[in-house]
Parts: sequence; structure tokens; C-alpha cells
Amino acid sequence: MKAGKGILFAVFVLTLIALPSLVSGYWLRVLTQTFLFASIATGSNIIIGYTGYPAFGNIAFFGVGAYVTGVLSTKYGMSFISTLPFCALSGIVLAILLGIPILRLKGHYFAIATVGVMETFRELIDNMTELTGGGMGLTLPIMKLGPESIYKYFYYAMLLCMLFALLLSYIVSKIKLGYALRAIKVDEDAASVMGINTPLYKTIAWALSASVVGLSGGIYAYWISYIDPNTVFVGAYSVKMFAMILLGGAGTVFGPLIGAFVLELISEVVWSKFIAIHGMVLGLLIILIILFIPKGLFETFKGGFSFKKLLSNLKENSL
Amino acid sequence: MIVLQILINGLLLGAFYALIGIGFSLVWGVTNIINLAHGAIALLGAYLTFFMFQQWHVDPFLTIPVSFTVMFIVGYMLQRYLMNLVVKAQIFILLILTFGLEIFLVNFMTTFFSADFRSVTPDYAGHSLILGDIVIPYIRMAVFFICVAAAALMALFLDKTWQGKAIRATSLDIEAAMMTGISPAKIYALTFAIGSGVAGVAGTLLTLTQAFSPNIAGGLTLRAFIVSILGGLGRVEGALLGGLVLGVLETFSSYIVGESYKNAIAFGLMVLVLIVKPSGLMGRKYYAEVKH
Repeated sequence: MKAGKGILFAVFVLTLIALPSLVSGYWLRVLTQTFLFASIATGSNIIIGYTGYPAFGNIAFFGVGAYVTGVLSTKYGMSFISTLPFCALSGIVLAILLGIPILRLKGHYFAIATVGVMETFRELIDNMTELTGGGMGLTLPIMKLGPESIYKYFYYAMLLCMLFALLLSYIVSKIKLGYALRAIKVDEDAASVMGINTPLYKTIAWALSASVVGLSGGIYAYWISYIDPNTVFVGAYSVKMFAMILLGGAGTVFGPLIGAFVLELISEVVWSKFIAIHGMVLGLLIILIILFIPKGLFETFKGGFSFKKLLSNLKENSL
Repeated sequence: MIVLQILINGLLLGAFYALIGIGFSLVWGVTNIINLAHGAIALLGAYLTFFMFQQWHVDPFLTIPVSFTVMFIVGYMLQRYLMNLVVKAQIFILLILTFGLEIFLVNFMTTFFSADFRSVTPDYAGHSLILGDIVIPYIRMAVFFICVAAAALMALFLDKTWQGKAIRATSLDIEAAMMTGISPAKIYALTFAIGSGVAGVAGTLLTLTQAFSPNIAGGLTLRAFIVSILGGLGRVEGALLGGLVLGVLETFSSYIVGESYKNAIAFGLMVLVLIVKPSGLMGRKYYAEVKH
């Protein structure tokens, strides 16, 4: 990281740390939600952006993480903090077990298999009524703090989660693993010939990514304090996460974070202005991002904003 | 006897799944686009039928050509002026694009047609053919035969006509096809148009067999998905077989382990097929290859 960038990032983090005492509860909530998506996007970027495996159903780990926290805190009386390692662990274990068969698939097939995994988990949890409450959902214990303190508590918890995701992503990009993953993305066969143990590295990448997504699921569950299978296994979250990764730039450390902030804040503005057609606008927004800035804002506007760039992006992939 | 009844129900349901899958599988096999908006496009066809029935009392079966034509045109426009712009991009870019389209269409339908469950019930709904213990509603039987006939027509079209051959040629080798004077942009648009048209027909038939709302779009797309994987991409026979297998599996698993596990079982089967034979039960080389 260059010094300039480092200073910018430090200022950004310090601002976020100072913000809760300056802004209203509403914005605190919006920002907590933004951190959540930034964590998911940054974590998923390890398998999607670095390795080039479009894990469309990565939200599966989010849902499982949420339920790990939910079940451990309601049925086994564990405290919020002590459940979190298990959320990350659930992601790691599942990704390793699933990765052995599924990571052999490529492209579309991998994407779809992960969606299948997500739907299957949703259904299983829906049916394990005794443990998970099934369709009735699960109500988590509420912390014995004032509402303001709870808001702040989860704001900082989610911020830490996001910073953890960033740190992990940054470390991965700098070590041997990161180079191996990029080699796999460019040409898996060639990487394999060069002596990279591709199945092992792919599995590690997916497990790391799943640990972050699972962790954010756990924090989300406690924050929102009520979960049911349909609110944590949401296909639309996967799409939002993908759009964020693309918007910021896939395979970069800070791209998904930037994408999450831009899209989530835009989405918030749109939400308050056009409640009735919010979904339509979101759909259009995603289509426009794909058409004009598929490489991400930074790659596209390196030399300043220009319409020419947007158009040349459009031409590049057209038939 | 119950087993035979379940088998028949499964086959009747399966033919509908096959029809949903045929268009999806063709588009995927030829253009390499996984069209996540497929279910939403089918629902547009369903709403066409619903409104024609509600406003002018048009018999739902007579609206089949209308759904086909309208969705054909919509599909052609979508591919020509939207999907073709990014068709050479990475896989997940296309996935996101079609998902954006899905979100747009579903919300469009929710906003303008409401999220209420709708159904179309002509006078003859409720009559059934009764053979001993076996009950087969006439409407479901008609839907079954229309689905099979549509599949047969589609296979004939791909096999016998110039356009059909051009579609297959583009799927096999796009550069060689271009050398013979085929314009891939137009063939892609035609393929997507046919896929959407057939989806529209499936939507029309859907109104006759179950209640629908914009929210079932995702479920339809997932069925199309599984059918394509099971059968193999781009082949009509494959989709037909895949649809029937899925239909029978769903009805039997609902009977044996309960309704609530049917999706998990269908997905389990799909993942299994993906791992053991990624080209599908009837898929061959070329038709089912990952093109990236």
C-alpha cells in the first residue's frame, strides 16, 4: 500500500470510529448495514475476485452463520461474543466439505451448484423446527443495554468485522496464496502444471471467504434479533454483493468495500425517494452497472471521468 | 394403485417443467447465457393470458399464440439490444445482468399487476378422466400434450429449418458459422426470442394448472435450471427427459418424505449430476461445454 492510500484509509477508519457520536440513529443503522455488505463483499471477493470462481450462493454461509449464533445463544445460553468463533468455523468447515466435490466444477456449473447449496441449507433449516424454529423463526436474546448503546455496539462490531475482512483480504493478496489464486483465475491448467496444488488453494480460498461471510451472518443475527430462513438465505443479497464487487473492481483489496459504500448509500437514497418502485430502480441500476462499468469505478475512470470510457466499455464485450 | 397415480401426476407435472426448461436450456447451450429472468418472462406470458381471460373471456388455450408472439418479440429485443452488448463478458457478469433484469421484471409485475395470487378457471376446469382409481384432470392432460407437441415442434425446427440449423451451427462453432455467412448477433437474438416465446407458452399453461404471483418467478427459473442440468444443454430431448425426471422425482419425494423436502432433494440430485456427469443425462460434447 502506498503512503497516500494508507493515510486516506486511516482517515476513513478514524472518521467511521468517530461518527456514532455525531450522526442520528437512522444513519447509524444505514452505516451498520453498509459495513455488513462491505464485509460480505470483501470476504466473497477472495473466491470470486481473486480466484475467479463465481460463488453465486455464498450467502449460504451467511445464513448458516446467523443460525449458529441463533441456536447457540438461545438453546445453549452462550453469550454473543463467544458464539462468533463458531460462526467463522461453520463457514470454514462447510466450505471445506462442500469444496471437495463442488470446486471441481467450473464457471456456470460452479455458480449453480453454490445456489443449490444455498437453497438446500434454507430448506434443511426450515425443516429442523425443533432446533431452529423452522418457518416460525428464531428470536435472539436482546442485550441489556439502552437502545442507543445497542446501536453503537453493533455499529462497532460490524465495523470490526469489516476491518477484519479487509485485513484478511489484504494479507491474502500479499502472500503466496494470493499469487496462486490469481494464477488459477488466469489459467487453472497452467497453474496446475506450474506445480500449484489447485484443489488445495481453491478450498483454502473458499474457506477463508466463507469464514468472513459466516462471521457477518452471526453478527447480523444478533443485531437484527429475529431470523427466519427467508430473511437470511436471500438470493438478492448474493446479487447485491456481486454488483458491489463489480462496481468497486473484482480482485482488488478495497474494490468491494468501495462498491458496497457506493451501492448501499445510493440504494438508501433511492429507497427513501421512491419506495413504490425501489425494486425496479435497483434492477435497472444493476443492469446499468453491468453495461457501463463492469470493470469497476476505479479501473474505468483512472484518468478522470469521461463518457467515451463508458461507451468503450460497452463495445468491448458486445457481439 | 397410488403409485401409478403419483407416477402419472409426476409425468403431467414433468411435461410442464420440460417446457419451462427447453427455452432455458436452448439459450444457455447456444449463447452461454444463464437467463435468470426466464421465470419472470414466463410469468409475463401468464399475465397476458390472465388479463385476456379476465377482460374479454378469451379461452386460455387460445391465448397460446399471443403469448408466444409477444414474448418472442420481447425476447428478440432483449437479446439484440441488451444481452448482445455484454455477451462476451465473464460468466458472472451475464448472471448479474439477467438477475438485474429479473429483479426489474418481478418488481414491475408486482407494482402494476399486484402481488396477489391469480388463477384462471374456465368453465371446464374440474372435469377429469376417471379410470378406476386413477383420476386425470382433462386440463392437465391437455397441458401435457401441448408441452410434448411444443417440444416436438421445437426439435423439428432445430433439425429441419435453415434458421434451426444456423442456431445449432452457431452453438457448435461460432467462428465457422460466421464464415458461412451467419450473423451471430441475429442468431443469438433469434435463439433468445424462441426461448422467451416458449417460456411465454409455458406461462400460459401455468395459469391453468396453478395459482401464480410475481414471486414464483425464481422458483420457475430454478426448475428450468435443474431440468437443463439433468438433461444436458441445448437439446430438446434432454430437456424433455430432464423435465419428466424432475416431475416424477418431486411428486414421489413429496409422497415419501414430505412436501417440505422436495427442493432439497431436487437440488441434491442436480449437484450429484453436475459432479458425476456435468454434461447431463443426454448431453453431448459441444452442446454442453463451458465456453469460457
